[in-house]
Formats: sequence, C-alpha cells, structure tokens
Amino acid sequence: MPSPRPRPIQKFATAVSQCSAEAAVYGKCIVADYNSVYKDKCADEFMKLKDCYLKQAKKTR
Amino acid sequence: MNRALQRTPLWRQVPRTGVPIPSLSSFSSLSSSSPLPWLSSSQSRRTYAFQASSPPTHQVFNRHTKWLQRERAAADVEGSREVDYLKDEVAMRLCERLWDIKRDFPSVLDFGANTCNIARALTRPFPNPNSDPNSSSSADELPDELPPLASRIGHLLAVDSSAAQLHRDASLPFNSALSLTREVLPDEETTFPYADNTFDLVLSSLSLHWINDLPGVLAQINRVLKPDCAFVGAMLGGDTLYELRTSLQLAEHERRGGVSPHLSPLADVRDVGGLLQRAGFRMLTVDVDDLVVDYPDSFALMRDLQAMGEGNAVLGREMGPLRREVLLAADAIYRALHGNPDGSLPATFRTIYMIGWKASEDQAQPLPRGSGEVNLKDILEKK
Repeated sequence: MPSPRPRPIQKFATAVSQCSAEAAVYGKCIVADYNSVYKDKCADEFMKLKDCYLKQAKKTR
Repeated sequence: MNRALQRTPLWRQVPRTGVPIPSLSSFSSLSSSSPLPWLSSSQSRRTYAFQASSPPTHQVFNRHTKWLQRERAAADVEGSREVDYLKDEVAMRLCERLWDIKRDFPSVLDFGANTCNIARALTRPFPNPNSDPNSSSSADELPDELPPLASRIGHLLAVDSSAAQLHRDASLPFNSALSLTREVLPDEETTFPYADNTFDLVLSSLSLHWINDLPGVLAQINRVLKPDCAFVGAMLGGDTLYELRTSLQLAEHERRGGVSPHLSPLADVRDVGGLLQRAGFRMLTVDVDDLVVDYPDSFALMRDLQAMGEGNAVLGREMGPLRREVLLAADAIYRALHGNPDGSLPATFRTIYMIGWKASEDQAQPLPRGSGEVNLKDILEKK
C-alpha cells in the first residue's frame, strides 16, 4: 500500500530543518533585543534564511 | 423622505477599529467593553435609558469555528488518538482529586467531554500513592493499585457539542466498564437542558477554555448540582503555550510590522477563583499544574494542536493559514528564545484545577462577626 501524500507542512519542516545555522543567526538577531522589534529589523539575516530554505525546498522536490 | 432618517445617528459615525485584541485579563472585565446589543437594530430606537436584562457577554471565540475544527480533528480517528496524550494526562490528574472525596456519586455529569477522556481515566486502575514498595509492613494493608474509580460512580453522562469527538471511542472496551451515556448538545455554552439539583458531581476537563460566557456556564453548573456537591474542573490558562505565543508575536512583528491573535486569551488563576465565587461556589480549591512537552520543531507542535482540535478560533483573527515567512521566522525565534540544549522545543501547558462546592445548609458556616473570644494579636506576639 503506497503511503499517503505527505502534508505540505511536513515538506516545509524538513526543508527548514536543513537551515539551522541560518536560523540560529536570525534568532540571535531578534533575541538580542526582543523588547524593541520593528519591521525588517533583521531583514538581511532573514533573507539568508529564506534563500537557504528555498534552495533546500527545491532539492527535496 | 423623512428628514430624521437621512441624518446618520451619531453612534454610526464612530469608526470601527476592528475587534480589540483581548488581553489576558479579559475575563475579569467581561461586561465593560462589549458592544451594546441594540447597535445592530436601527428599527426601534429608544430615547430613554434602560437597564439590560442580563449583562452582555464578551464574545472572544467563534464557537462555530471551534465546532468545525473539533469535528474535523476527530474525523481522523488514528491521528486524533495519537495526540490524546495531553487530554488523557489531565483527565487522570483530575480524577486523582476524586480520591479525596469519600463519597459515592450516583449521577455524574462530564461537561465538555472531548473524547470521553474522563470516562477512560475513571476506568483505569490507580497506583496507590500511600503504598511504599520498599517497606514490607505497609504493603500488607495497602494494595499497590487501587480499584478504578468507576466502582464509586453510578452513572456518567458525557455531554459535548461535537458528535465526532464524543463518539470517537464508543466501541472501545472501557465503555463497558462503567455506565456511560453520551449526549450531543447543540452548543454546550447556551443549552443546558437539565433540571436543578440533578447531579452529585460535575466534572469538566480541558473544554472550559473555549467558553465565551464562563460566568454563565459556571452558574449553570452550580444550578444543576445537588446541594453540598462538588464541581471538579480543569482548564488551560495562564502561561499556556507562552513560548509559541511570544515567538509568533515576535516573528509577525519583525516580518509584517504588526501582530494578529494566534493564541486565545486565557483565564488566570486569580480570575478562576473570582469566577467560581461569582457563580456561587463555596470552599474553593484552585491549583495550577504545568505540563511541559518537548517537540522536535514548532511545526510538530502546531500539527498536534490541530489534531487535538485546539486550533485558533479567536474572533477577529486573521483568516487563512499563517504565512510561510512567519512560520519560518517563528521557528527560528522559538529555537533561539526557548529551545532546549538538545535542540527540542518545550511547550508549556498550564492547567488550572478547580474544585467548588454548591452551597448547602449542612456545610460548616463561618461564625458571625465579632464572635471571636481569643485575640489573635496575643497569640502572635507571645511567640
């Protein structure tokens, strides 16, 4: 019996788990001063994380 | 055309700023900020002041959305059983409290039964807390396991609005271990078709946190209890899932420049004491218990919450799923802010347990004021 189609969130989680280094950098940037977060405070770090995720998501497809 | 009709009444010009995000203390300010009931009907306008027959209830949750989520969750029987760990554990801890009441309960109501987790907990044998495996002397008198509580329960009536949740485990063996009836109510918040003084005990496990009109429901529970009978309940409150709440807030704030409610406002321990008192319960016991569950990532946590039927049903939430950007950012922040050293993510479930007794003549009453004969000051200063 073939296994059921994985939910999109599972694929998403697998791809995100490959980017722990970038996620740690982004997380550190936010947590450094989480009382004064504003829009695009850590935009550069986030874009690196997003690029990594997009690369991984393509790979697993 | 009538001139009076063309003029817009003043209250219509007030811009609607959307549903206010309820704060944690919204339960204690129930009657202060809800919209007046006559705003919607412009047909009959009154020019005189009047008192509302009942205080308007503050609508926080969309009960229909909640019902849909719970029906959908229970439709996947296996997936729903996998995430019963939380509700089973809380039901066990709730039933533990019944050992302190040395009575039989001929007629019991389980209000908001979910998947009859309480019925299952009642039929389980209970490890004896007084038996010590190391000492042989006490083991003779005390068995290691106490018989299941079901032997002291005459009949259990389990009510819930979601038929799929309620009947999910109707064919499992625990059903034959006690006399159990399931009843589907249209909405347990508004319908309560039981006569006064019907039940010897009312239990409720992990369903009160989706009730809009908590004072009203507690008053109804008090009404159907026989005098000098107990209500034992457990609800999520306080700092439940604060890790997820804070990381989603930070992520949305940084990515999108604003926040929308993703987690319910929850009652605090202080609020619960006040609510029970307001509903007319006596001899209150309220205590708090934290369960911390570790998850591999925040997506697993959210998936489990969804499978429990505990998704977001706050009125005024942003419709549609969370954006991927926010999910991505929230997972990174969760890890950085709350993550365990081994890489797992903790999630706190803070359960508030409450016991209240319906007032009765037979209960011990406080002595009248001024009847004390010993001065407390003398005792305290003698030390």
